[in-house]
Amino acid sequence: MNNGEFVSYFKEEFFIPKLKSKKKKAVLEELIQPLVNKKLIKSQKLVFETLLNRETLGSTGIGKQVAIPHCRTLAIPEICIVVGVSEVGIEFNASDGKDVQLFFLILGPPLDESNQYLPILGKLCERLRKKTFKDKLVKAESYEKFIKLLAKG
Amino acid sequence: MRSQVELLVLYQDILLMLDEAKHEDKCMGIEVEGVEKLKKALEEVAKDIQQRYIRMFERLKTRYSHPLVPVQEDTCLGCFSKLPTSYHERGRNDEGIFTCENCGRLLYWIE
Repeated sequence: MNNGEFVSYFKEEFFIPKLKSKKKKAVLEELIQPLVNKKLIKSQKLVFETLLNRETLGSTGIGKQVAIPHCRTLAIPEICIVVGVSEVGIEFNASDGKDVQLFFLILGPPLDESNQYLPILGKLCERLRKKTFKDKLVKAESYEKFIKLLAKG
Repeated sequence: MRSQVELLVLYQDILLMLDEAKHEDKCMGIEVEGVEKLKKALEEVAKDIQQRYIRMFERLKTRYSHPLVPVQEDTCLGCFSKLPTSYHERGRNDEGIFTCENCGRLLYWIE
C-alpha cells in the first residue's frame, strides 16, 4: 500500500481535534459518533459492543500514548478511520501504562474486497511506534498538517 | 433487547476477531493476552442465540468463511443475488432471520 492510498482512508469529517471524554468507554463512543452522524453505521450499540469485545482480547493502547481501537464488523459497509486527539490523555489500559492522547479508530467490514484492513492497521502500528512521531501528530495545528505528517511517516 | 440477527453478527465478528488475533500479535505486536476471556464472551453471546440459528450458522460455516453476509441495495453481498421484495422492509428492521434464496447465507441489512 503506497502513501497516497493510505491517507485516502482519512477524512477531515472524521477528525476530532479535541476529545471531550475522560474514560475508555466514553472515548470509544465519542469516536464512533461521527460515523453515526454520517449514517454509516446501522447499529451504534453493536459496533460499541464489538469494540469492547476487541478490548477484551487485549488493550489496543499500543504504547507511546497511542491507541488503535479496531474491529471488523458487519455493521459497517466500508473501511472507516476516525482520529481523535485528547489534550490531557485518557486512561486506556495501554501496554506501557501511560494515558493515551492519540486515537485511531479503525472499523472494517469482514468481507473487505480490497483486503486493506490489516495492511492499514499494520502501517499505522509501524509508523506510530516511532519515537517522536506521536508528539508531532498531536501538535499538528490543522487537519492538513496532520495528514501531511502522517503521509510522510 | 438485541435481535437474533444482531447477536449473530456479534457472534461472527468475535469469531473473526479470534481468527485474526494471532496475526495481530505476531505481525503487529499488539498484545492479545485475552483469548480465553474473549472465548468466554463468545459463549455468553451464543447463550442468547436460539440453538437452531447457531446450528444453521455452524452448518453454513462448513461451506462459507462468512455465513452471515450484508445486504446492500437489496442484494446479498455473499452471492450478489437480488433478494425478493417481500424481504426488504422486514429485513431492514431486523424482524426475524432471513436467508438468501440463492446461496443460503444468513442476511443482515446494513442500511
